[in-house]
Amino acid sequence: MTLDPRSPSDSSASSDDSGEVVELPNATRATDIALDELELVYAFIYARVGNRADAEDLTQQVAMKAIPRLRQGAPASAIRGYLFATARSVLGAFWSTRLGLSQAELHEDLALAVPQGPPSDESTERARRILAGLSDNYRRVLELRFLHGYSLKEVAAEMRSTVGAVKVMQLRALRAAAKVDPDA
Amino acid sequence: MPEQPENRIERIVEDLLHGRRLRLRAGDAEEKQAIIAAARLAAARSGPQRMSPAFRRRLAQILDSSPREPRLTRRAALVAGLGVAAGAVAGGIVGRQLASSPAPLPLSASSPVVPRNGRWTDVGALADFSEGQGKLVRAGAVGAFVFRRGETVTAVSSMCSHLPCELWWERGSSLLECPCHPVSFTSDGKPSSPSYTLPALNEVKVRVSAAGRVEVLGT
Repeated sequence: MTLDPRSPSDSSASSDDSGEVVELPNATRATDIALDELELVYAFIYARVGNRADAEDLTQQVAMKAIPRLRQGAPASAIRGYLFATARSVLGAFWSTRLGLSQAELHEDLALAVPQGPPSDESTERARRILAGLSDNYRRVLELRFLHGYSLKEVAAEMRSTVGAVKVMQLRALRAAAKVDPDA
Repeated sequence: MPEQPENRIERIVEDLLHGRRLRLRAGDAEEKQAIIAAARLAAARSGPQRMSPAFRRRLAQILDSSPREPRLTRRAALVAGLGVAAGAVAGGIVGRQLASSPAPLPLSASSPVVPRNGRWTDVGALADFSEGQGKLVRAGAVGAFVFRRGETVTAVSSMCSHLPCELWWERGSSLLECPCHPVSFTSDGKPSSPSYTLPALNEVKVRVSAAGRVEVLGT
C-alpha cells in the first residue's frame, strides 16, 4: 500500500501528471487518526494498570473492538468517545478477571472523563492529590516507595522503622489512598 | 499458612515498581482497592506514557489488516473479544451488535432481549446496586444497565439503539449517554434528545432471586 507523495491530503482520488485519476488509499489516514486517539487510550489505561505490558494488551483489545467503527470514517471526536467507552469496559473485564470477581463486585473505579488532548500529567497530579489527603506517615511511605522508588529497606531506614512495620504501613496506606481517591 | 496481606501487597508493589505485569493470585481480591491504588501510584511515578514505536507499529498493522467489509467475520469478532456466544452468530443479538449500517435495526423498539439458549446470570447482590444509579453488567454476550428502585430492579440494553456503541451512565445528568452521537436515554430506555427520533433501548430481563441476588437473562 503506497501513498502518492504529490497528494498528502485525505481526498480519495487525485490526478497524476498525465491527467489519469489515481485512487489514493485513504485507509492509511484513517489508521493515523485512530493511532493518535489510541495514544490517549494507552495513557488512560497505563495510568490505571501501572505497567507497560498490561497497558499494551488492553490497548490492543480496545483497538480491535473499535475496528468496525473506525472503518466508517467517523470524525475524531466521535471515535474518541467510543474508544474510551470501550476502554472502560476492557479495564473492567481486566480487573474482574485478574481479581477473580464478577464485574458487579468491583467498585466502579473507572473515571468517565474523556481526555481532550495529548497525554498530560493527569496521573501525577492525581497521585499528589491523593497523597495530600493522607496522614503524614502514610503519605511518607507511599511517596518514598512510589514516587521516589525506594526499596522497603530504604524506606525503613528513612523512617527509622523495620521492614516488617513498613510493609504493614504500606498496606494500610494503600487502603487509605483508595478511600481518598474519588475515582478509585 | 495463608500469605499475610502485607506480603501479598508488597509482592505486587515490587512487580509494579520494576515495570512487571500485575500477577494476582486467589485471595488478592480481598485487597482489591489497595491493589488498584498501587497500580495508579506506580503509573504516576512514570509520568504520562506514550506507546513505544514497536507497539504503535503493531497496532497499525492490526488496523490496516482488518477486514474491509462492514460486517466482522465471526473469527474477527471472537479475536476482538466481542463476547460472541458459540454458534450464535447469524442474526440475533450479535448480528445487531456487529451491524455497521446506520439504518434502523431489525429489533422493534424496546422489545425485550430474549437470547436463544438464554440463561439467568448472577451479576451481584442487590446491595451492590445503588438506588437510582445505572450499573453496567454483563451476562455473556448481553450487556445491560441495571437500575435499582427499592427492592426491585429494571434493566435496559447497554448498546445505543442507533449505532453499536456502548452507552455510559452519566451521574450528573442521570442519563445513559452515547459516545458516538450526542444522544442520551433515561433509565427506562427512552431517548431524551428531542432532536433525534430513536427507538427506545431494548429492555433486558432482570430479576432478584429469593437470596437477594440480581440475575440478568443473558447467554
